[in-house]
Amino acid sequence: MFRRALVALGVAGAIAAALRARGTGGVPPQSGGWRELSGPDLR
Amino acid sequence: MRVAVIGLGAVGARAARQLVSTAAVDEVVIRDLRGERVEEVRASLGPSARAEHPPFAGPPAADAVVLAHPAGDHAAVAAELVEAGTAVVSAADAMADTEALLDLGPVADARGVPVVVGAGFSPGLTCVLARHAAADFDRVDEIHVAKVGTGGPACAHQHHRSLGAAAVDWRDGGWQRRAGGSGRELCWFPDPVGAEDCYRAALPDALLLANAFPGVERVTARRAANRRDRFTARLPMLRKPHPEGGVGAVRVEVRGRRGERRDTRVLGAMDRPAVAAGAVAALAAVFAVDGRVRRAGAAGLADLVDPVPFLAALAERGVRAAVFEGADTV
Repeated sequence: MFRRALVALGVAGAIAAALRARGTGGVPPQSGGWRELSGPDLR
Repeated sequence: MRVAVIGLGAVGARAARQLVSTAAVDEVVIRDLRGERVEEVRASLGPSARAEHPPFAGPPAADAVVLAHPAGDHAAVAAELVEAGTAVVSAADAMADTEALLDLGPVADARGVPVVVGAGFSPGLTCVLARHAAADFDRVDEIHVAKVGTGGPACAHQHHRSLGAAAVDWRDGGWQRRAGGSGRELCWFPDPVGAEDCYRAALPDALLLANAFPGVERVTARRAANRRDRFTARLPMLRKPHPEGGVGAVRVEVRGRRGERRDTRVLGAMDRPAVAAGAVAALAAVFAVDGRVRRAGAAGLADLVDPVPFLAALAERGVRAAVFEGADTV
């Protein structure tokens, strides 16, 4: 019983770790930046 | 022109302040259920503001009315105003209000009255930015909106509820319901906000943008949230919301085709959400009265205004948009 509980906890931890690690994006922009729209952009 | 503002929370008070400092506006009528709040705001606005106290006999007599009270009955109030032939600008950011306001379209169209739906930070400024970015393309394929931050307490409540409710994504000509709080995506907002994890939520931006861009394949909307926001989204708010949130930002990514080439354009803005929302709502009301909206009927700002003069006027009021340059995507 105790071993089953440990196995269940281990599996749950592995799934949680995989989900935590997973995601989209995550790589910061390597070039460029934000520029305020002004003058010619708004004519 | 005379413009009325119903609801003097963080957004409504800012909208009223913007209106009294607009040369074309002769009088601003302000209403709120809280009598002391009406007097407080009236005293701060000066002689061109006129306060109206409850109980109210009917809708305010004005050329346009900005609805900035908490979500829930914007469509009912707007219906009365449309019947009276008054232009309506709603700052509602709730899905139910947005859907009900859009349903007023045929009646408003028949009456020749514009109903500007979702005239705030997001939706609102996001719709204008999407239209502006779309001008660079022959065909728009995808629009992805993200926002971070909240305005006043009503906005904070809406933020809380939206993460626990179903989101709607427009995909290949149909709506797909997705769980709120799902679909994590790291989004880069204008400085100094920077990177934030954003998730699906019950946000009305997609409803407005899919209508405004016929033929678009995908429209999504996400909002920044932390683990506590997502964990507690289906519970009542555990803490009283703050009087006003800090700096927020919006980001609109438009993907499309220019000739045979696929390209992406990313626009954004950074400001206190209630300040930007107030400026957008006030400006939308001025545009609605002086004939600078494209048509009568109910629609978002992407459908109703020319983005260039709108963004230029917003910049004069201190709300400045930005473009991300130098990379295909952010």
